[in-house]
Amino acid sequence: MDVLGQDRREGLGRRAESRVTLLTLILVSILLLLSSLYSAEASVFRKARETVMDAAAPALAMFSGPISYIQKTVGDIGDYFNVMKQNEALREENAELRQWMNEALALRETVAAYEALSAYHAPPGVHPINAVVIGESNDVYSHSMLVNAGARDGVKSGQAVIDAAGLVGRIVDVGQNAARVLLLTDVQSRAPVYIEGADVEGLLVGRTKARPAISFTESSEPVIFAPGQRVLTSGAGGVLPRGIPIGVVAAEREGEAIVDLYANYARTRLVRVVNYKFPTVEPVEEEEPSADGTDEAGREAAAVAPETVQAAANATAPVSAPAALIAAEHTQAAPPPAPPEPADADEETSPEPVAD
Amino acid sequence: MTRRAESMSRLIKAATPTLLGLFGVFLLALPVRIAEGHIPTPLLPLVIVFFWSIYGPNYLPAASVFAIGLLQDFLSGGPLGLWPGVYLFTQYIVLSQRSYFLGREQKVVLIGFAFAAASAALIIWLVMSLMSGTLLPFRGLVGQMAVTIVSYPLFSAGFAQFHRRVIVENS
Repeated sequence: MDVLGQDRREGLGRRAESRVTLLTLILVSILLLLSSLYSAEASVFRKARETVMDAAAPALAMFSGPISYIQKTVGDIGDYFNVMKQNEALREENAELRQWMNEALALRETVAAYEALSAYHAPPGVHPINAVVIGESNDVYSHSMLVNAGARDGVKSGQAVIDAAGLVGRIVDVGQNAARVLLLTDVQSRAPVYIEGADVEGLLVGRTKARPAISFTESSEPVIFAPGQRVLTSGAGGVLPRGIPIGVVAAEREGEAIVDLYANYARTRLVRVVNYKFPTVEPVEEEEPSADGTDEAGREAAAVAPETVQAAANATAPVSAPAALIAAEHTQAAPPPAPPEPADADEETSPEPVAD
Repeated sequence: MTRRAESMSRLIKAATPTLLGLFGVFLLALPVRIAEGHIPTPLLPLVIVFFWSIYGPNYLPAASVFAIGLLQDFLSGGPLGLWPGVYLFTQYIVLSQRSYFLGREQKVVLIGFAFAAASAALIIWLVMSLMSGTLLPFRGLVGQMAVTIVSYPLFSAGFAQFHRRVIVENS
């Protein structure tokens, strides 16, 4: 170590000014911190963030490939040792899923019958964008991931990100070729949710721990829920679509529900950005004569009952879309290039012959 | 070797610790997930800042440290100014104690690093708690710092060889 002690003047810096520069830069850092405290969303910072993210994306993508290969290989070796146990677990799960499949097939028929009714208006379709996780924050207090899809692919800030298991998070920064996903465990994450079967809505608040908690709005009535109940996005606020599965209630602590997430962030690799537009209710305009008959029919369909469309969208309708997406992902090893679009029926196409 | 090639190689050697630091940040941004995410990724840039602040502060000037920290802020999505502040503070403390660390046994230096990592953790916890308006849990932070401290001897042995054989030698 004696050679290490030699003080040579070969480096990038000069000793004489180093202390002054150091203190100045510490001051600059503190000023930066204070400014991000007061204007976290300042456009200059946001632009800089997105530029750096875009610049780093190709290199991150190049390295994350081999890393995931190594992880998979190591995982395979691990699997080799408990293959019998896994087999047994999978067999049990398969039997259970078969029951669910039969139930789902029966339900599909019932739903098809309802969809054929003239009063039914399909919710807007979901157009997922496939992406691969190329980076993550590895920071104790900032939980986010970088994905290799950006504005060029149609990704926008606020969109939900799902994987095979459920909701992963939502998009916060969008570059041209990459985007940042704020995970549900981040301390800044807030997602409007409801507990299935308990009829309560709340906000899923990230706490930097593995399990976020649902905080309920103050009310005179006690909030009743039980461990094991499913937690789904509620669609309140008009950002995340309703009905995306998030996890199950694990326990109750100080009036809050602790949630076990379906998403396993240690394994999240392939994700889908849900490009979902909430239906907007537009005022019905005066009828204009149109040469195209079908166009007019479409407009009529849209104008029939805007409140029905809104109600359907806010109530249960989009549940089928992400759920079906997830189901599709379960059955396929890799997501298809052109993802299936269930419930894709637009106002023009879906309620076809029965509407007249 | 021509004079130009010589000065070029000198510049590259002088810039190596900075580039290593930036590479460390880059590694930190990759989804490495050691043991399926059960083991947090060690903070390699902190090791680099600490090591070169003792053994070759001229090779890692404050501007480089600032750049390393800023890149980490950009890639991790955290508040801007946090990591530059933490790394520069570490460098300030180490530089003020440099004469004590020079020539000491590596065990002593490791204890010094543990103190530096602990104070860095304290700053991060305080700042992030202040920014989020609640007292954040610090178990994860302690875990990450512990992994960094445990991996310090490994990294520092590698860096020492590198510094001795490549950067200082024949420069």
